[in-house]
Amino acid sequence: MQRINLGEFEELVLLIVAILHNNAYGVAVMEEIESQTGRKINISAVHSALDRLERKGFLKSFIGGATRERGGRRKRFFQITTAGKGALDFIKEQRNRLHDQIPGIDLGLS
Amino acid sequence: MDLMEHKPPRWALRLLRFYCKPRMLEIIEGDVYELFYKRIEKEGLSKARRRFGWDVMRFFRLRYIKGLEDINSLNNIAMFKNYFKVSLRSLLRHKFYSFINISGLSLGLAACLLITMYIGNELSYDNFHQDADRIYRMANNQSGNWTPARLGIQAKMDFPAIEEIVRLQGPYTQTFNLDGKVFREERGFNADSTFHKVFTVEFLEGNPDKALTEPNSVVLTASLARKYFPNQSAYGQLIDLDGETKKITGVIADPPKNTHFYYNYINSYPHDPGVTVGNWTGNNFFTYAKLAKGTDVVALEAEFPDFKRRHAGSEMLKWTEFDNYDDLLANIKGVPTYTLKPMQALHLHYPWFALGSNGDINNVYTFMAVAVFILIIACINFMNLSTARSAARSKEVGMRKVLGSLRGNLVNQFLVESMIVSLVAMILALGLAAAFLTGFNELANRNFEFSDLLAPTTLLYLLGLVLVVGLLAGCYPAFYLSGFKPIKALKGEIKSGSGNAFLRKGLVAFQFAISILLIISTVVVYAQLQFMSNQKLGFQPEQVMLVKNGSRLAGNLDRFRGQVEALPTVKHFAHSDRYFSGFIGNYGYQTVEENPRSVDLMNMFVSGDFQETLDLELLQGRFFNPELVTDSTNVVINESTAKWLGWDEVLGRKLSREEGRDFTIIGVVSDFHYTSLKKDIQPMVMRNVIESGWIDEAYEWWGANYLSIKVTGDFKQTVAAVKETWNQMVPDEPFDYTFMDDSFAALYDEEHRFGKLFTASSGLAIVIACLGLFALAAFTLERRFKEIAIRKVLGATVTGLSLLILRDFTRLVAIGAVIAMPVGYYLMNEWLSNFAYQLSVNVLYLVVPAIVVAIIAWLTVGVQSVKTALGNPVKALRSE
Repeated sequence: MQRINLGEFEELVLLIVAILHNNAYGVAVMEEIESQTGRKINISAVHSALDRLERKGFLKSFIGGATRERGGRRKRFFQITTAGKGALDFIKEQRNRLHDQIPGIDLGLS
Repeated sequence: MDLMEHKPPRWALRLLRFYCKPRMLEIIEGDVYELFYKRIEKEGLSKARRRFGWDVMRFFRLRYIKGLEDINSLNNIAMFKNYFKVSLRSLLRHKFYSFINISGLSLGLAACLLITMYIGNELSYDNFHQDADRIYRMANNQSGNWTPARLGIQAKMDFPAIEEIVRLQGPYTQTFNLDGKVFREERGFNADSTFHKVFTVEFLEGNPDKALTEPNSVVLTASLARKYFPNQSAYGQLIDLDGETKKITGVIADPPKNTHFYYNYINSYPHDPGVTVGNWTGNNFFTYAKLAKGTDVVALEAEFPDFKRRHAGSEMLKWTEFDNYDDLLANIKGVPTYTLKPMQALHLHYPWFALGSNGDINNVYTFMAVAVFILIIACINFMNLSTARSAARSKEVGMRKVLGSLRGNLVNQFLVESMIVSLVAMILALGLAAAFLTGFNELANRNFEFSDLLAPTTLLYLLGLVLVVGLLAGCYPAFYLSGFKPIKALKGEIKSGSGNAFLRKGLVAFQFAISILLIISTVVVYAQLQFMSNQKLGFQPEQVMLVKNGSRLAGNLDRFRGQVEALPTVKHFAHSDRYFSGFIGNYGYQTVEENPRSVDLMNMFVSGDFQETLDLELLQGRFFNPELVTDSTNVVINESTAKWLGWDEVLGRKLSREEGRDFTIIGVVSDFHYTSLKKDIQPMVMRNVIESGWIDEAYEWWGANYLSIKVTGDFKQTVAAVKETWNQMVPDEPFDYTFMDDSFAALYDEEHRFGKLFTASSGLAIVIACLGLFALAAFTLERRFKEIAIRKVLGATVTGLSLLILRDFTRLVAIGAVIAMPVGYYLMNEWLSNFAYQLSVNVLYLVVPAIVVAIIAWLTVGVQSVKTALGNPVKALRSE
């Protein structure tokens, strides 16, 4: 079976970048994760995950224009690549397939 | 107010800009700024600033730190890879030279590693104590080991700078008895209850403050406690020490081995005025003081003369003929005082103060010198072989230069090469060191374990050593080789060794000089040992059995003597309070004449059979007669005493100990060596101890601590028989004996170790030097291959040719010998000055080592030169 080298946090970041579409940069990703999942994370962790994903070829980045809210410094925007999209699809498909195979008997959980 | 006017903490920003990779900086800075402004609104300025700092610190990750690729160009790394590859290839191509280089270096490094480990350990003594630098040993005057009982107590009261004191006595060997389990335990001390306040002790059980306060308490180390009380707590238990019941009031962790007094157990002091109040007359305590922080030691010591006068002055006067202290001062050398010796210096610098740790700074220096010598020899090999082979590398250097290498690049390349060699040597050295460890322990008189070799500090030393060697050995060849002119190098005009032959020969001569020096040392050390064992001692130490702990026989001595003397192999039986080769103290005596003179005489109490047992030569008068009770007021003196007294007729004259106690001289024995030949024979007086063993029964003064038994025939049987008799009479004391000649031989253990050290190091030096010589000779012959062939064609004989080559190397040995001989002569005379009886350094001791080295050099070179000379000249001349 093909193996996709993607950690749990990396997968989360990749999904968020895909959601944010054209507005995915460090702070935005961090805030989105916070609002979507409630997880408190440090900005440096986001950066590091973004860098790793870019090196793996799941993301690509470009430098945007300067904005006032960060004292005239430019942003680095991230976009998901085809490979990134493929990876997400693969993981989702695999999960769904496994999930569907859970027998419908009562496990005494409910 | 606009948000943008708020500023994040300056330090954080600076830190970020300092460590962050430039191309990441803007993005990271932008994000933390954005968060900063957002947080000011939500959480307030101070929290936002704090979190800004935290964010910056969290960005301190490998991927954002300015790394190698930002400082150095990628090209540089590639070049290093290339250097590495080329070096390895060159090493592999010349397997013979690489083998010699690496094996020589690894031998040298292994020796150095062991020695640095030893030195590091020696220098670490007593460092583990907290405030070790504030702990001092108090010395009586300048170098008196023992101090009065009162000193510590009074000094602490008089000087606020003295924070705490502790008094010790020991080391003792006592007999432990727990329900019939009887063992002799070494290294016990008596100590004040303040022991733990001065020294660092880890109490596993018991209260440190109370452990040594009560009499008859003993504190055991964990290992001793385990021995007697396996699987149970020793704390609070009772145990017999030398027949007295003691309570175990504490169990402490074993002290580290690197301490000047290693202890296994500590006894408390009795509540006796002699200890609790103390006096100024008896010097029988070791006193340690812990000074307050920032104490001026010199200023404190300057107060001691007055202090001594104030407290001990009147007591001191009692023992002299002077009426007041000023008269006393005027009549003695130096001012009576106390001095402070730093505890950490005791082990190496004041070994006679150390309580049995066997240290000596001179040993450290000797070992250091040996290490340096061996390392130099190994480095010289490396340098010589590298430069000698320069011709082979000259084309490579020329090509690199043509292709644009700068000199610096080439230097780097050769340094990388030498580093590789020394790193490989390092790995081998670790293995060699492990293999030599047991032998080295014997040389250094220490107990290192394999784990010590792999301790981080040792490895750090080794790595440092490797770097130094790599640089030292590599830098001369590197600069020499990189200096070639490219055109000449490519044309092949570099004649290897033309310019630097002088230096190379000088280095080889220096190697020989070191080897010869080490052999001279070896020879002289052993010659001196031989000399001492050949000296007549003046008595017969052979076949004299010495039984210790005679005091345990007390009332049984007569019975014991009777049974032992009944053995057919026992010829004589005598007892004494001290024994030859052991410690003998001196007593003050005065002559009985018009102007009495005072003198300190070595003093021994011996029984009537002593002279016959040890075969002392009687010159005048008679020895003690066991039948005569009056002999207790008579003395026998040795020749030196007679000489010092200077009387025409000594028999019948008197010596007095104190007023009213006079001793009549009844005999003179010829001088004999009662201790090591390092010391002169001092004037000695022997007094009588009666047959029952008491010197003075009323004062419980026992004089038969050592029993000398002269045996004949099979000594093993005799020993077994005496042992059985002992065990019957003293069941709770293990039988302890030695033979007098063994006991004397043990006095020279240190010198024997020295001899072994020099043998080992000179052997090592010779091996390494010969490895280098062998390779150098092989190389020289290779170059002179054609020359030799032509000479042979023109009619030279094989002998003539071989001698031609040998002559060159012999000259180098001669130069080495010229350097080594005077140095060796000087150094060995220095060493010999430690001995009162020394051999005079003969020219032979200097010449023979040189000849030995010359022969070894001839053998090394000879085989190869004869082989070359025997070779077919056609082969050499045909190849072009």
